[in-house]
Amino acid sequence: MNTSWRFAWRNIWRHPRRTVLTILAIAFGAALLVFSIGFQLGQYDLMIKGSVSIYQGLIQVQKEGYLDEPKMRSSINNIQSLAQSLREKTQVTSIAARANGFALVSSNKRSYGTLIAGVEPKYEKMVSIIPDTIREGTYLSSDSAHEVIIGKSLASNMQIKLGDELTFMGSGRDGSIAATILPVTGIYESGSKELDRNLLQMPLKTFQETFAMGSHGHAIVFYHDDVKQDLVFKQQIKQALSSHKELVTLSWDQVQPGLKQMIELDYSSGWFMYVVLIAIITFSILNTFLMSVLERTREFGIMLALGYKPFNIGKLVMLEAFILTLFALSIGTLIGLLINLYFAAYGLTFDGMEEIAQMYNMPSTLYPQISFESTLIGPLVIFVFTLISALYPAMKIRKLQPVEAMRKI
Amino acid sequence: MKTLTAFILFSLSALPAFAAEPPVAIDLIKSAIDNYRGLNSYSEASMTIHRKEWQRVVEMKVWTQDLDKSLVRVTAPKKDKDAGTLLIGDDMWSYAPKINRIIKIPGSMSNQSWMGSDFSNNDIARADDIIDQYTHRIINTSTENNKKIYTIESVPHEDAPVVWGKEILRVNEDFVFLEHQFYDQDNQLVKTLIASEIKLIDGKYISLRQRMTKTDNKEEWTEFHTSTIKFNIEFSSNTFTLSNLRNPR
Amino acid sequence: MQSFPLISALAWRNLWRNKRRTSVILFAMILGIWAMIVTAAFMRGMAIQALDDTIENLTGHIQIHHKKYLDDPVIENSFSISDATLIASLQHPDIIQWSRRIRVPAIISSERDTRGLVLVGIDPQSEAEMSFLNSAMSEGQYFQSPDDKGIIIGKKLAENLETRLGKRVVVMSQDLNNEIADRGFRITGIYDTPTEGMETGFLFMTLTTAEKLLNVTDVNSEITIISRSLEHTNAVLKSLKDKNPDLDIQAWDTLQPFVKLIEEMYTDFQYIWHLIVFMAMSFGIINTLLMTIFERTREFGLFQALGLKPRFILAQVWMEAVFMLIIALLIGNFISWLTVLSTGEGIDVSAFAQGMEMAQLSNIIPFIIVRDDLFLANFIVILLGLLTSLYPAWRASQLVPANAITRV
Repeated sequence: MNTSWRFAWRNIWRHPRRTVLTILAIAFGAALLVFSIGFQLGQYDLMIKGSVSIYQGLIQVQKEGYLDEPKMRSSINNIQSLAQSLREKTQVTSIAARANGFALVSSNKRSYGTLIAGVEPKYEKMVSIIPDTIREGTYLSSDSAHEVIIGKSLASNMQIKLGDELTFMGSGRDGSIAATILPVTGIYESGSKELDRNLLQMPLKTFQETFAMGSHGHAIVFYHDDVKQDLVFKQQIKQALSSHKELVTLSWDQVQPGLKQMIELDYSSGWFMYVVLIAIITFSILNTFLMSVLERTREFGIMLALGYKPFNIGKLVMLEAFILTLFALSIGTLIGLLINLYFAAYGLTFDGMEEIAQMYNMPSTLYPQISFESTLIGPLVIFVFTLISALYPAMKIRKLQPVEAMRKI
Repeated sequence: MKTLTAFILFSLSALPAFAAEPPVAIDLIKSAIDNYRGLNSYSEASMTIHRKEWQRVVEMKVWTQDLDKSLVRVTAPKKDKDAGTLLIGDDMWSYAPKINRIIKIPGSMSNQSWMGSDFSNNDIARADDIIDQYTHRIINTSTENNKKIYTIESVPHEDAPVVWGKEILRVNEDFVFLEHQFYDQDNQLVKTLIASEIKLIDGKYISLRQRMTKTDNKEEWTEFHTSTIKFNIEFSSNTFTLSNLRNPR
Repeated sequence: MQSFPLISALAWRNLWRNKRRTSVILFAMILGIWAMIVTAAFMRGMAIQALDDTIENLTGHIQIHHKKYLDDPVIENSFSISDATLIASLQHPDIIQWSRRIRVPAIISSERDTRGLVLVGIDPQSEAEMSFLNSAMSEGQYFQSPDDKGIIIGKKLAENLETRLGKRVVVMSQDLNNEIADRGFRITGIYDTPTEGMETGFLFMTLTTAEKLLNVTDVNSEITIISRSLEHTNAVLKSLKDKNPDLDIQAWDTLQPFVKLIEEMYTDFQYIWHLIVFMAMSFGIINTLLMTIFERTREFGLFQALGLKPRFILAQVWMEAVFMLIIALLIGNFISWLTVLSTGEGIDVSAFAQGMEMAQLSNIIPFIIVRDDLFLANFIVILLGLLTSLYPAWRASQLVPANAITRV
């Protein structure tokens, strides 16, 4: 076995320039893919994070059926203690309980039908950026305070300022009239028009009291910076809740499928281009492999005459391709990885980043994702393609006739 | 026709049995209405909202005057005591005693349910001149228990703000409506209001129980049951005012 | 040089001496060129479509609103059209078409369901050429006259409401006194667009009908303007803004910034992609040419020994590369053209419908070959191709005759 390897290695370096060019081609492809995929995946991570951190969270626990038909009665019992037990079981504190409702909200000048969320201020800060986007006043101070915060657009449409009172009227969980008056203690601007125009937040216990919820709520929102691990977290939570058959655990893409699809589309079109690129490189070097086989026809002829099986010669050729490719891929992957590591530390920006970043609530610097997937998947595909293309010349060997072959120049 | 008005209308029936000549539909309806122009009423009723897994009963007092003024005040359950709704013409105000505030219900909320029932704010609020926006005709006359029963088909005019394809009312000769059906524009029955417990009170025949059911969901219905009712009451001039809505006397 | 025909003839023959090798490298080159052109066409299609959609889907090139309208799109925030200055400024020579609209929130109800949406009252004639509605009709018909009493809704909305063409629905909104304004309307038309949001978010009626419903006259929520071309828009915008300082006047790129973004990013990306593809190809080109030379070392040595200048050899090898480039370009362009032709309307990505919705793109992306893009791709290939093949050609010309001849 050792001899074959040495033999293969020597054969590779018989024509240094040719080999170097081939290695360059493969390494180039590998480095490019590692860099490109690293950034693509990194970008997706940022997009997902940007999107779920606004309000929706990475994972949500709800009563089964609530997602499709959000009724007041479709609720989670003892939601705060359940949220607390989840925090303990998963060792994650960024978990917040919420209750959702709809009410007629009136200021002196106008009335609007709006969404109301009852939140746990202490934990809501950890799952959503809204508390950080308060422009005037302060965020809610406690679970049962008599306070409400409102989005900037809605505040101006209703012509109210900080300190003004809002009257809430709606239907409680038991159908009774839900009514309360709360002062506006904070005005937020999340950047999402939908939220700013439609969502008010009050403390959870205040909500529960107003809407006759008792200790019920509608959603437990889980957030974590490491968005890639969403499925892992989902599993953890599911297990922690295994005794609650009536609850479902939903990951962000189940709550908002659009983003995931956009990412999938982008990734697919990325791969289309990668495959084309790999194909081009493969064909580029196919000639090299072919050449290296054809020019040794005489040599192979002699080997055959000496008793070497054609199959073994084929194996030798494949081994050459294998070693060369592996060598080239290692170099390329390493270079790509180094580049990624550099940018992972310093970040990458380019023109137009600012605006896009704003749209998706992302930071304006891109960081690549450093993971097994992002680093190895590109080179892996190149590897497969290259070896397949090496099969072609290897097959040609089987057709060789010793005498004819030896006669070749 | 808007539902609550419809059954307030038809449950307080009056006219004596008809003369021999068959009535013209719209006259029938209009006469019934004209009959109440000067009619005031005070009633005590309970509304039951029934769902597959729960049920809620709200008890209330209702004052009506002419056909465009009504005041509803909740007496039970305790949590909602003294809450109320005031209707004048097309306008509706709601009072929440918990916060001592009155809120005018804007048009955009008119399709939201009234007090959690199967009736929308719109169903409750709209005044009756909408009757002019339909074409009515009697499509059947029959006899049951020695009383004549007229089946009237009401088809909304082209641009009437009514979603139904048609509505069918069954009224008897005592001007008690027995049934009000709502059909979509494909002639599918969507919901039905059925009256029962017809009694003679103060010289009038009235239905004391009306239930609204949905054709495609038998588990969900709302029912009104009137326990007390008096007619021709004298109301003080400030009965139908916002201050009265807020402060019961 | 006079020997040009000779060089060319030799180059051409040499090219085909080893058919397989030439074919393989040609294939790589054709693939590369195809990749460049087709992906460029795809991205261009996305960008153009997003732009067209935006402009057609009610945005137009420029929109005029009451200053407060965009924050609070209610009927109170409307402006009058009887202002002489406004009318005069709309006569700008580069404005091809303008149209007034009433655009307010409303609620539509059927027997089975109620939805909130935006009511758009339009002037059928001027609107016909401007927006998508006229050509997106799938059932019934577009408004026949300004007095047409029917309404037009989107297919998905009709489905959600469980209603159909010909049925009546009730539309409710608020008039200037905050009173409810509601009326029944027949659905006289249904439209179908690739973006679901366009189908569920709007209902259309004529301006006259809207004015009757809301009991108003000469009240406009917005005026949409189509200018002569995208390039003219800025000048028109400036002129309008100068003459009407009290109104909010904006162009499509500030009203819908995302679209512009796609276009800008795309252009940058294109250059990079082309370069990358070419680099991938270039390894193969150089390698192949080098191999050719290696094979023919003896031959070249012989040429030189016979007195041919190194220049000649360089020219000949280079010519081989040039021929390969030309063939690859011809075939590559042709196949790209065929590919784009075969995609017809475009490719259907409705598997990603919700994602496309988020990106404000429709589900069918057309492939569009734009002259500039085509030029760019070909230019890069030719330029870089010529440059990279210079190296092997030069190597060939550097062979020392004695060494060359004795090579085996």
